[in-house]
Amino acid sequence: MNRRDFLRYHLQGAFALAAGSTGLLLPKESMAVGEPDIVVVEGAPGAATRAALNLLGGMGQFVKPGDRVLIKPNMSFSHPPESATNTHPEVVRELAVMCKEAGAAKVLILDNPLASAKRCLERSGIYDTCNPIDDCTVAMITSSKHFKRVDIPKATDMTSNEVMKEVLKSDVLIAAPVAKSHAAAGVSLSMKGMMGLIRKRRAMHWRYDLDTSIVDLCTLLKADLAVIDASRVLSTNGPGGPGKVLHEKKIIVSKDMVAADACAVSMFEWYGRRFKPRQVGHILEAHKRGLGRMDVENLTIKTMTL
Amino acid sequence: MSLRRAIQLISLALFLFFLIVASTSFGSYLPVDSFLQLDPTHFMGTLVSARYFSLSFLTAILVLLITLVLGRIFCGYICPLGTTLDGTDKIFCPSHEKRPRLGNLRPIKYYIIAFLFGAAVLGVSLIFIAAPLSLITRFYGLVVYPVFALFADGILSIIQPLADRFGISSLVFAQIKTPRFATQFFILVFFAAIFASARFSPRFWCRYLCPSGALLALVSRKPLLRRRVTEDCTDCGKCVESCPMGAIPEDPCLTLHEECIVCRTCEKVCPVDAVAFTSEVPGQPSHGVEFSQTRRRFIASGLTGAVTAAISLTGLKAVSNQGALGQVADPRLIRPPGALPEKEFLSRCVRCGECMAACPTNTLQPIWFQAGFIGLFSPALNMRRGPCDPECIRCGEVCPTNAITNLLKNERIWAKLGTAVILRHACLAWEHQKKCLVCDEVCPFDAVVFKDEPEHEVPVPHVIEDRCAGCGYCEYFCPVQNQAAIVVTPMGALRQSRGSYEEEAKRQGLKLVLRPKDEYGLPESEEKDTRGPAPGFTE
Ligand code: SF4
Repeated sequence: MNRRDFLRYHLQGAFALAAGSTGLLLPKESMAVGEPDIVVVEGAPGAATRAALNLLGGMGQFVKPGDRVLIKPNMSFSHPPESATNTHPEVVRELAVMCKEAGAAKVLILDNPLASAKRCLERSGIYDTCNPIDDCTVAMITSSKHFKRVDIPKATDMTSNEVMKEVLKSDVLIAAPVAKSHAAAGVSLSMKGMMGLIRKRRAMHWRYDLDTSIVDLCTLLKADLAVIDASRVLSTNGPGGPGKVLHEKKIIVSKDMVAADACAVSMFEWYGRRFKPRQVGHILEAHKRGLGRMDVENLTIKTMTL
Repeated sequence: MSLRRAIQLISLALFLFFLIVASTSFGSYLPVDSFLQLDPTHFMGTLVSARYFSLSFLTAILVLLITLVLGRIFCGYICPLGTTLDGTDKIFCPSHEKRPRLGNLRPIKYYIIAFLFGAAVLGVSLIFIAAPLSLITRFYGLVVYPVFALFADGILSIIQPLADRFGISSLVFAQIKTPRFATQFFILVFFAAIFASARFSPRFWCRYLCPSGALLALVSRKPLLRRRVTEDCTDCGKCVESCPMGAIPEDPCLTLHEECIVCRTCEKVCPVDAVAFTSEVPGQPSHGVEFSQTRRRFIASGLTGAVTAAISLTGLKAVSNQGALGQVADPRLIRPPGALPEKEFLSRCVRCGECMAACPTNTLQPIWFQAGFIGLFSPALNMRRGPCDPECIRCGEVCPTNAITNLLKNERIWAKLGTAVILRHACLAWEHQKKCLVCDEVCPFDAVVFKDEPEHEVPVPHVIEDRCAGCGYCEYFCPVQNQAAIVVTPMGALRQSRGSYEEEAKRQGLKLVLRPKDEYGLPESEEKDTRGPAPGFTE
């Protein structure tokens, strides 16, 4: 059952889901032997992205010919790449190109902006860099007509929300966040980034517990691949900055959103200090609920410097 | 189609085109307010009420001069309200015989203009009640345009799945924003009444009510080019019947030139070609009836206008000085960026609604009585509907009377609209211990900071007043429903009639910066105090 079927299944109101069909699998079980759980490559943003994915086993594992791929970067701030509030355009481009190489029929790069959509597209640099690629569309989605109410069967708190219809249509979901701090959630990485694909995010602040509802959301929108752009890390005053930007020049990739996020947390300095993944509420909860693993010390991490 | 119809349609199309363009970024390059500039009531009214003259009024003066020579061609060929009425009259106007007979209502329009002037002398601008270009701009901008946008977006939704199938990706995610406006219903009823008045006569509004028509009538009592009738006239009365303005009295050889809009229908319908619009004098008297008995009422109307103005000046919400003691103003009335000081602003604003139609975030809305009777339909921001984009200058660009200053790009961010205030009792973080930081996340000026406070489990927001421009991003995005927990108040708004906003703001010590480039990425070596609390992490 692929994502599309999975989500349709819930749309039709079917709650009972055969255990293990998707979502709950731990990375170790689903992975061919010898492949690392997490790959960290240091280098120029584009090249490091490509190298990291190759070390993880190549894009071909995720994208099959004819697939519709949705990439969710951070591009909802009208700031230039230096600010580290948006994903680096080179990272997004490399991903889009690799998807095309793997035979993707369509690559969509979507977000839901917090400022003028036009200016976010322009200043983030992502539109100019990625939209010219064949069959690749960069767009901001705000109109309610592009969203659809979906139940979240595995939720413990937020049992439904409105999700971009495009997500429901695509076969592959790639989370491509920039690494940044977040005053309410601690960090904003691949899990927190999924909030850009839903319409009623405000409710996550006032009705639900933010950490719990982030995990709820990720049980539904579980990315097939997480690519964290840590070429620059917004170490303080995130998500909007301006804050201290660390020039880490790294790209972290994993099939497990939780592991990728956990790795980013433990790897960098936040507010001038070191933190453990369990000190981030939503990462801890995701681990406990079996969405993925935060015990990076027990996972195989492959590192490389270009 | 006659030449006149063609000109009328082109003119209406141009008017609508400008209105649409005003709401796009091309608005900066085209004179989108030019139609409003043509209206003599705007010019005379603003001149008197605001004691303000601008070079852009020259176009209205030109209209008056042309009228002196050619008669009221503005009404017959250019005015978009006139053209619209020609259209709706076709639907609503019964044939000649079935129309109820009316007494002489013509002087009403002079009373209206006298009334407006009476008020203007006291510095109160009431022209929004009746100035035709203001009315028609409001009608198309605030009532018709949103409906069209709604339909267009509906059609788009229908074709989008097809676009997706054929891979036209530019269309798939396109969306046409449908603006929404307050006071629409009033505008609608008002126009329904004007359209329906065609039951009594065609162009009822133009004949009897229009103040601009009245002003033009005053200068077109004997235009150089005017209707003249030769001796061939057989007195058949066809022209009397067909004149849309009723400008031909019983005797078809006479003409009320001040009423004639030079549509030349009489010329066309005359079976013996006895009518011509020329400048030569065929040796025949041609001018019409006097209206001397109306003089007294004219003066009375002017006085009524002045009294109305005086009463409104003693209304509770009347403005004397900005921020003076005893000033009762709506606590949430936020004017657009660069709006003149309130008193001047109200005397200049003609309530055309151009700024509201042009506003890309739809935050600019016409108000009812929040600013008293004389503030009716003037623009104010509704930040729950949309924030005010700190880089946008469209309202100032399109304002025909500069009630909103046309700010230069670099001046714009200094035009502080007000200051955000946190309503702690409603705030998710302060009151409900929820992890919310939306205001900080969205603030383009970085004016909201989250701090750990004793006795609070989660970091809580504070506004840094001199960094806050009052743009309303926080109020717009605040997840608290209905009444946001952070609201913009007019406190500290900068409103000046002259001088640089930047200088004034800096003089006041404001630090309004849109996260400029050099603020990014504090160098890693810098030992900035980053070892503070780490909001969002647990210990
Ligand atoms: S402020 Fe707005 S409504 Fe008033 S005159 Fe200017 S554009 Fe028209």
